Amino acid sequence: MTAIRTQGLTKRYGAIVALRGLDLEVAEGEVVGYLGPNGAGKTTTIRCLLGLARATSGRAEIFGVDAQARPSVAHRRVAYVPGEANLWPDLTGAEALHLLGRVQGAADTAYRDELVERFQLDPSKKVRAYSKGNRQKVLLVAALGSRADLLVLDEPTTGLDPLMEQVFRESVGDARARGQAVFLSSHILSEVEALSDRVAILRAGELVEVGTLADMRHLSALSIEATFDAAPPDLSRVPGVTGLVVQGHDLRCQVVGSVEPLLGVLAASGVHQLLSREPSLEELFLAHYGESGSTREPSHA
Amino acid sequence: MPDVETGFGVWVVGRRTARRAVRSAVVWGVLFGALVANEALSYHSGFPDTASRERFAATMGDNRGLTAVTGPARSLDTLGGFVAWRMMSLMLVAGAIWGFLTATRLMRGEEDAGRWDLLLAGRTSRRHAAGQAVWGLACAWSVLWALTATGTVIAGLQPSVGFSVADSLFYATAGVAGAAMFLAVGALTSQLGANRRQANALAAVVFCISWLLRMLADGQVLPGWVRWTTPLGWIENLAPLTDPQPWALLPIALLTGGAGWCAIGLAGRRDVGQGVLTGSSVPPSRTRLLNAPGGLAVRLERWPALAWVLGLGALGFVFGLVARAAAEGNFGDSSVGQVVNRDGGHVSLGAAWLGYEFLYLAAILAFAAAGQIAALRAEEYDGHLDHLIARPVSRRSWLVGRLVLGLGLVAMAGMSIGLGGWLGAGGRGGLDALDLLQAAVNVAIPGLVVLGLGAALYGVAPRLAVPLLYGFVLWSFLVEILAGTLHARWLVHTSVLDLLGPVPATGLDGQAVTGLLVLAAVAALVGFAAFDRRDLATA
Repeated sequence: MTAIRTQGLTKRYGAIVALRGLDLEVAEGEVVGYLGPNGAGKTTTIRCLLGLARATSGRAEIFGVDAQARPSVAHRRVAYVPGEANLWPDLTGAEALHLLGRVQGAADTAYRDELVERFQLDPSKKVRAYSKGNRQKVLLVAALGSRADLLVLDEPTTGLDPLMEQVFRESVGDARARGQAVFLSSHILSEVEALSDRVAILRAGELVEVGTLADMRHLSALSIEATFDAAPPDLSRVPGVTGLVVQGHDLRCQVVGSVEPLLGVLAASGVHQLLSREPSLEELFLAHYGESGSTREPSHA
Repeated sequence: MPDVETGFGVWVVGRRTARRAVRSAVVWGVLFGALVANEALSYHSGFPDTASRERFAATMGDNRGLTAVTGPARSLDTLGGFVAWRMMSLMLVAGAIWGFLTATRLMRGEEDAGRWDLLLAGRTSRRHAAGQAVWGLACAWSVLWALTATGTVIAGLQPSVGFSVADSLFYATAGVAGAAMFLAVGALTSQLGANRRQANALAAVVFCISWLLRMLADGQVLPGWVRWTTPLGWIENLAPLTDPQPWALLPIALLTGGAGWCAIGLAGRRDVGQGVLTGSSVPPSRTRLLNAPGGLAVRLERWPALAWVLGLGALGFVFGLVARAAAEGNFGDSSVGQVVNRDGGHVSLGAAWLGYEFLYLAAILAFAAAGQIAALRAEEYDGHLDHLIARPVSRRSWLVGRLVLGLGLVAMAGMSIGLGGWLGAGGRGGLDALDLLQAAVNVAIPGLVVLGLGAALYGVAPRLAVPLLYGFVLWSFLVEILAGTLHARWLVHTSVLDLLGPVPATGLDGQAVTGLLVLAAVAALVGFAAFDRRDLATA
């Protein structure tokens, strides 16, 4: 059974289309990273999934339950961490954890206590006295400690220091090892790269890429750096070569598809040193948005 | 590089504070102005002859218990004395509470929410930002004064009233002097408390001690000079419309200026987010109520709800005292009784007074009910609701839980009013327990209607729900008190208070009560349906 399935999920705010026909699946026990620039529709997706926003059309299921029609049933197996840790300021951390655990209906209190230790959270303080990072820790401990079958995390490490971010990664790893599914929306590409089995990339409300990182890299341009004994050859007519940059005897380019024609030209041109590299997630991400990371509206938007 | 002290940024704080404070100042200013005008203009119909005025003055003026609660009655057989006695205690109490709640909301509340940090990151300093906030509060007070003065002057210029403009302005100044002092007190406690709640508690303690000392002095339990030790006593010493004492403004001005100055000074000396009196951020954990959304709502709202119930019960008691005094003094048989019992039937004098006064309490209770809708809207706006709805909690069950809590508040406050009235009346004046039980139900009905309509507005238009609801309650109240002077009856019927009779002067109108309850229930159902279908809207 899939943890999350959306079919044609669309959300409009007046004339603005925030989400357009989203088809997405997250399998049980899978960690899916959800990427996109600000305003791409990531949080809208999550709010539609959780019934916090009503979809204009389409369907969203959580473990086979219609999340729009029967949200409270669907939420029995879900724990959610929003990006804004706006808890009740007059509750203490312990009170907030108790409340969220009770409302969730299930909490592994021993594991929750362990998480409190791991995240170095002092639960005796009032929420109003917490820093932003500590408030985020309360929500992370509540969600992870629920042992829910699906964790929906919307930029969950906002405000965490690098040490705590490492604890978060370990905790998500533990959750995956226990068979929990994780839907992770984040701007921290290294985090997504480290944790995710698959990555979904959203642009202007549309899913433009989804798959494993290996698949994406395979289908994406390969970065080539070559050094020649003499002037580099003209590669502009070699099939698949783009982004050609020549500096003295050094050459950089990307190649899409078969590298055989390129290798033939390079071998015949006295190449001194050759380095090929798969694109990082950051490069894949930027390839969809341009160097500025800005969103390009689809032509039919 | 612009100078920090004169830079543009610092005025942003002042303007922002003023803009937000003026909204509620307008509401209270209109209310005070309209109430004063109404009391002044209706005096001659209520007390048409000298005999009735003298009877009234003799009874009320000699009643120590009543004087302890409402303040000293001076020249009650004159229009000025009557208006001063009727309105001053209400204005000073409402003004003082508005004052400190507004100041702590806009100073300490902004700090608690983290918005103060953003403002301080601009071209200003802690001290100057606090100074501008105090300036903003002063602007709001000026609006409150101007509107109260406008209502008083307009009424005073009528031939039947005849107050001089100077007397009217002095009366308005005295009426809102409590607001000025407690705006400053609230600004000061905002620096002292560790958070807004503590700041409110400190200001409330100041208010309660001040009120208690004044009450004991007025009730002749303590010597009269004790009145000079309390800010509320200073206001009484102004004696507007009877024996004006402008020099008594001096301690009021000193307290207001001094507290404001101290607030600004302390703001410059302490860390943002900390109070001068540091509270414990590590309180004992209490999870007894935190097992479900309903318990959470009780935990969050219990103290404000208790304050409403006790406060309205106390007012019910005071009005019961008035009704008893009215009945024992045998005045008003040709006035209030006629006003209340428009159909010409005969009612007891105590019941007539109580029926008339309880309409005020019904309006206040309706405000409390609107506050419940505001609280649940705040839960959504602040993003707290997301944490519940993203878990196995249905929207409908959450909303039902919150409305049941509101219903409980309205019912308890209604009962508290009835009980207070019964205790105050002490079984005199033809008022028995059954009469006051009916009155308790009667005063609760507008609150229930407001809850129902509020649920509908909240479901359909959450961003507009709170201002529309408060506006509706205010409109109802104004229309009701001006009903006697309005010729357009359809306008009067737009008031939620109009459909109910002045119980216990009249019997409970079963048909009207049923109709209003059905309206409330239908509106609530509309609210449930709309809330179920819309997006949650956070900040």
